[in-house]
Amino acid sequence: MDTVTESIASAPLPTEKTLRRRTNLPYQVLRFLAINIKMIKIIARGHH
Amino acid sequence: MARVVILGAGISGHTAALHLRRKLPATHEVIVVSPNSQWNWIPSNIWVGVGKMTVKQVTFPLAPIYARKGIDFRQALATTLFPEGSGDDLSPAVEIRYTEPARSGETERVTYDYLINATGPKLNFAATPGLGPDGGNSLSVCTAQHAAHTAAELEKVVAKLQAGTPQTLVVGTGHGMCTCEGAAFEYTFNVEHELRTRGVRDLADVVYLSNEYELGDFGVGGMSFTQRGFTTSSKTWTESLFHERGVRAITRAHVQKVDPGVIHYEQLDGSEHELPFDFAMLLPPFRGADLAAFDREGNDITGEIFAPNGLMRVDADYAAKPFEQWQAQDWPKTYQSPTYANVFGVGIAFAPPHPISRPRTSAKGTVITPAPPRTGMPSGIMGRVAAETIADMITKGATAPTHTASMARMGAACIASAGTGLRTGSAAAMTMYPVVPDHEKYPTSAGRDETGTSGEIGLAGHWMKLLLHYLFIYKAKARPLWFLIPE
Repeated sequence: MDTVTESIASAPLPTEKTLRRRTNLPYQVLRFLAINIKMIKIIARGHH
Repeated sequence: MARVVILGAGISGHTAALHLRRKLPATHEVIVVSPNSQWNWIPSNIWVGVGKMTVKQVTFPLAPIYARKGIDFRQALATTLFPEGSGDDLSPAVEIRYTEPARSGETERVTYDYLINATGPKLNFAATPGLGPDGGNSLSVCTAQHAAHTAAELEKVVAKLQAGTPQTLVVGTGHGMCTCEGAAFEYTFNVEHELRTRGVRDLADVVYLSNEYELGDFGVGGMSFTQRGFTTSSKTWTESLFHERGVRAITRAHVQKVDPGVIHYEQLDGSEHELPFDFAMLLPPFRGADLAAFDREGNDITGEIFAPNGLMRVDADYAAKPFEQWQAQDWPKTYQSPTYANVFGVGIAFAPPHPISRPRTSAKGTVITPAPPRTGMPSGIMGRVAAETIADMITKGATAPTHTASMARMGAACIASAGTGLRTGSAAAMTMYPVVPDHEKYPTSAGRDETGTSGEIGLAGHWMKLLLHYLFIYKAKARPLWFLIPE
């Protein structure tokens, strides 16, 4: 196996709980709001 | 009365045109020169490339918008700059050649008081023999039309998989000096998602082929995300997604040529390889729009105004120096040409002082280093600051740029789609601050602010990308209160 293949093979896998959370509607609505806030902050810092 | 000419109507040029028109009284002229009649929200071409959106959904005609806003639109290609005028005529001018069908081939010299070069990239498929959909052996999603063609080819691959024939699908960069690895990453996972949704994933070998030194570099030298008490590199974070979705990766690669069904590539260690494929979407490297420039006496000054790659020199520090001496201050702030104060270069059209990722050369001397990305958000901001500076110069008599936006003082939000669907989609939502690392300001966190740099994968990211699609098309159409939507 080459380096990148080995590295991918040893990369952490998400747990079932994490995978469920990634598509869980109420949780994702909260994350959607959180990402929006993060992006607004980033945008605000870039606009002088 | 002043006349501002903007070359290009992509994200940067179109943003500049709309802001200038809003800031300048109607007595001043704003002229946009673009060879394309359509505006394209390029980030959504990824979805056109998997058949989830149509060309019409990601494009719209520019002429009606410009007519409504009082912007003079010339569908033409800019070919030559005369920044000092020529002969006895001292008016700076740009020569254009019409691409509009009714005037195709006709040339015109357009004079200007201020010029914004926002010509974007020339898709340099010619840099790699056999690369690209027009006469080559690979596919592209760089234009909406390319993406639609790619979607049709993907459909053929799906049909073969449904018939039980194993297929190898390669997505990545078609040259050692490509940029936009994020787009290749997005398309890889959209293809993988599509194959899974269609129930044919098990017979498909999906391969990501990249010029990045390691996964997660994205042309910005990688990132570090601090979450839940741990700092994770974007390398580990990205590799986790490859592991989860069963996508193979080949990094440190420069594609030498693309034959029908076979990619030939070299890696940093000097080794050469062949990769057979049934479907290959490979991005081309970019270069400038090949504008020529002449002084008043007719001497060729192209090399003074433009870098050898055709991108325009602006207020950056272009002195060659080793990676260890690169600084945030090297990056431009005003995008003003150092030679002509009434000329600005924004978006992909400006020449970066150097890459962001560490430069590397193969054992055979081939440069295999991602070029720095200048995607939607930074490009839009640059277009706006150039427009605001010019508006101040015209209306307030400002003699120096009044607005700045360095990529070393600017963050970026990147939503990399990893599959579509309102309930089943996902995307990697990444933010970073600043785009260009500032090791003096953030010495202990790889040059970036830990609190402004983050990444997460989930359905919410897909909703964000969809929201941005509609929001930016709304803004580009200059609908009511468009200017309240930030770049």
